[in-house]
Amino acid sequence: MSGAVAQRGGRVARVPGSGLIVALLAVVAWEVVARLTAQSFFIAAPSAILAHMVDHAGLLWRAFAVTLWAAVRGFVWGNLAGVLMALLVVLVPRAERLVSTLALLVFCLPLVATGPILRVLYGPGEGPQVTLAALAVYYTTFLPVLVGLRAAPQGWFDLVRSYGRGRLVALREVRLPAALPYLVAGLQIAAPAAFLGAMVGEFTGAERGLGVLTVRALRALDLPATWSIAVIASAVSVLAFAAVGWAGRRLDLAPPQVLLAAPLETRQSRWRGPGEALLALVVTLVLWKGAMELFALPRFFAKRPEDVWAYMVSGPGAEAHRAKLLGAMAETLAFTAPGYLAGLALGAGLAVALTLAPRAAALTMPVAIALRSIPIVATAPLIVWALGREAAGTIAVVAVMIFFPTLVACLHGLARTPRAVLDLFEVYAAGRWRRMLGAQLPAMLPAFFASARMAIPAAILAVTTAEWLATGRGVGALMATVASTSDYGMLWSAIALIGLVAVCVHGLVAALERWVLARTNAEQLAR
Amino acid sequence: MTFRTPSRRLFLGGALTTATAGLILPHRARAQDAVNFQLSWLHSVQFGGSYIAQDKGYWSDAGLEVALQPGGPNAPVEPPVVAGTALVGISAADYTAAAVNQGAPFKIIGVAMQKNPFAIASLAENPVNSPADLVGKKIGMALANMPVLEALCSINDVDISEIEVVPTQYDPAPLVQGQVDCLLCWATDLPVAMEIQGVENVTMLLADHGYAVHSQTYIATEDSLANRRDQLVALMKGEVMGWQDYQADPAAAAALTVEMFPDAGLDLATQELQAERQVPLMFSDLTEAEGFGWFTDETVAANVETLALLDKPVSADLWDRSILEEVHG
Repeated sequence: MSGAVAQRGGRVARVPGSGLIVALLAVVAWEVVARLTAQSFFIAAPSAILAHMVDHAGLLWRAFAVTLWAAVRGFVWGNLAGVLMALLVVLVPRAERLVSTLALLVFCLPLVATGPILRVLYGPGEGPQVTLAALAVYYTTFLPVLVGLRAAPQGWFDLVRSYGRGRLVALREVRLPAALPYLVAGLQIAAPAAFLGAMVGEFTGAERGLGVLTVRALRALDLPATWSIAVIASAVSVLAFAAVGWAGRRLDLAPPQVLLAAPLETRQSRWRGPGEALLALVVTLVLWKGAMELFALPRFFAKRPEDVWAYMVSGPGAEAHRAKLLGAMAETLAFTAPGYLAGLALGAGLAVALTLAPRAAALTMPVAIALRSIPIVATAPLIVWALGREAAGTIAVVAVMIFFPTLVACLHGLARTPRAVLDLFEVYAAGRWRRMLGAQLPAMLPAFFASARMAIPAAILAVTTAEWLATGRGVGALMATVASTSDYGMLWSAIALIGLVAVCVHGLVAALERWVLARTNAEQLAR
Repeated sequence: MTFRTPSRRLFLGGALTTATAGLILPHRARAQDAVNFQLSWLHSVQFGGSYIAQDKGYWSDAGLEVALQPGGPNAPVEPPVVAGTALVGISAADYTAAAVNQGAPFKIIGVAMQKNPFAIASLAENPVNSPADLVGKKIGMALANMPVLEALCSINDVDISEIEVVPTQYDPAPLVQGQVDCLLCWATDLPVAMEIQGVENVTMLLADHGYAVHSQTYIATEDSLANRRDQLVALMKGEVMGWQDYQADPAAAAALTVEMFPDAGLDLATQELQAERQVPLMFSDLTEAEGFGWFTDETVAANVETLALLDKPVSADLWDRSILEEVHG
């Protein structure tokens, strides 16, 4: 029954005595390496971190409380938004293209653009931190929950219909129970992301918090301080992740019965696709302009769609602007694609490995969560030092940023393998590899494709961050440079182009997803 | 600040502006004007004079309630000043010039750092003492500062293609770890951090090699200059008084900074060293003669020349001395 433990997903296996010894040895080795390399300021020794935490307990505690409170509020608002959007899409299927396009575009907005706008809108205080924490989580909840709301056998819907009941009853009786495990996955992904979002939100001019202390510690070359903050951020994220998982298990979410759905024949009007795309474009432009006008944001830094059009197409110097931006984008995409694929493969591969060998989860999950909860400005220097400033370093940064949501979603997807199917494999005494290939991997596919879609904006954001911090190339470096020289025309043009690219790639992945799922998980495509 | 009654406007006459009204009105008698003052970075002794002004009530005595807003890595100064949420912001002549070229209606109304704080920091065993030493070296810097290096090279006839630029951010680690030979940074920032960590280093101030760009400049919009003059004068007056106190005792300013911001994670020794190092950048023969924040037509002309090299062409109109003249006059 070792498989059953892993199927619960994300469960931290009990660390046996030997595990404790391994952990102790690891700490000792860490201490030794840190002391040997002290002169080059790479890593802080555990003893130095502990000493710093004790010496600055009051300061760290106050900062932690501020950041945590912002993260908690962002977590609540962001997840609420994600769930409501998923419900809207299920109840009004025609809205799907529009809602998911808008959700994707908002998720693509980089901090260099949102930071100053949020600060001007909210003024001093914690508004921007809470908003950025919410923005960091809503998308990775929206997609899995949407998958979950559809993960029910067609027969149940037929049953509801045969009683003459409508969509709301189907939602309450069939869809919501089916979506719960996926909600757990979304919340688990959200936990470290919300904390990270709140920390990064403090870069927009906050008075206090762990993000403020991170910037200070990095500049002061104060390694014990940097690592103390990293340890705290990781610890709280691991705890939140475990708490959500524990609450999820309390719900005792049994794997579903067999999901039988007839392979889908797609009968769509030829005009529906382009029509929906056009509608999404128009609504995006109206919202973009409308929001800026509504809040009376000065044109100087809040460029309207027509400003971007003038900058890129009709205005003076448009040709030069275009050449510069497209050149930078080409460089960025060259790094995004391999990083994206590497991150997806790593996440899905780890999920499979952990399901086959659940004991390893106890050691792997904390590291995975830590990597996701420490600001990339703090981890990037280490990655860059280890892998260099060229392709390997950038690809590694991207993979680090996106493998975690993939891992969590896929673990939950694997755990959704129908009980009856597993029983069948057991009856025939099939090995775990056979079971993985024949039963669990197909069950994982909807979650995997949801990850593949949510990783698109995450990958682009990760590459632009790496470019800004390390390589100095591509759109990331361009955006950092133009933001510091108030060239907001270029900044908003870059954002528009990033959004466009993200939507196009999303379309490609969604098409691939439809093609595969129509054959393996047709219930996902029934509307 | 606007007129409250039309009769007062008639009484004062059209030529007199709101500034006069502000000066004539008894400040203490009415509620304090609340304004935001946007700093360019996280709280530190870099803004020590402002903290003194706050602490000693130089602003509240003038009827101004000033909220000091910290900056950060993603908190540019220009947007809040353009949007009017901040009355004054701390910028630098090159940033301001870029913003003005993009349509921002800014004026520089005072200059805190007479000498630009940009420096090349290197380790003692492999020092960069002059621009010529840069040839063949790897320099770590934020890419946004590329024009700074270009200007330095252009002024000193150094071939920039002989220098390898490595993008770095935020921390001095790449220099200490040997990834680069030198860093382009503020003399009062990363070199101080290295000194405190016991890493011997050398700094070469760009201002000593022809790079004339006013830094830590006070910017306000043309609209504020026209309509909120009394607030600007009160704010700058408090600044001048605060920074005069700072000059007399930088260590006290460092202590005050640490005390005022217990949550900022500041280290007293670091703040004291930084406080000491920024004195020669902020105070000069010019400020001794004319007062803190002053600039002359000559220093402005030198700035215009360097800014042209930075590809940020501006005219001398960008600087407006009228507020300082009122403060010091």
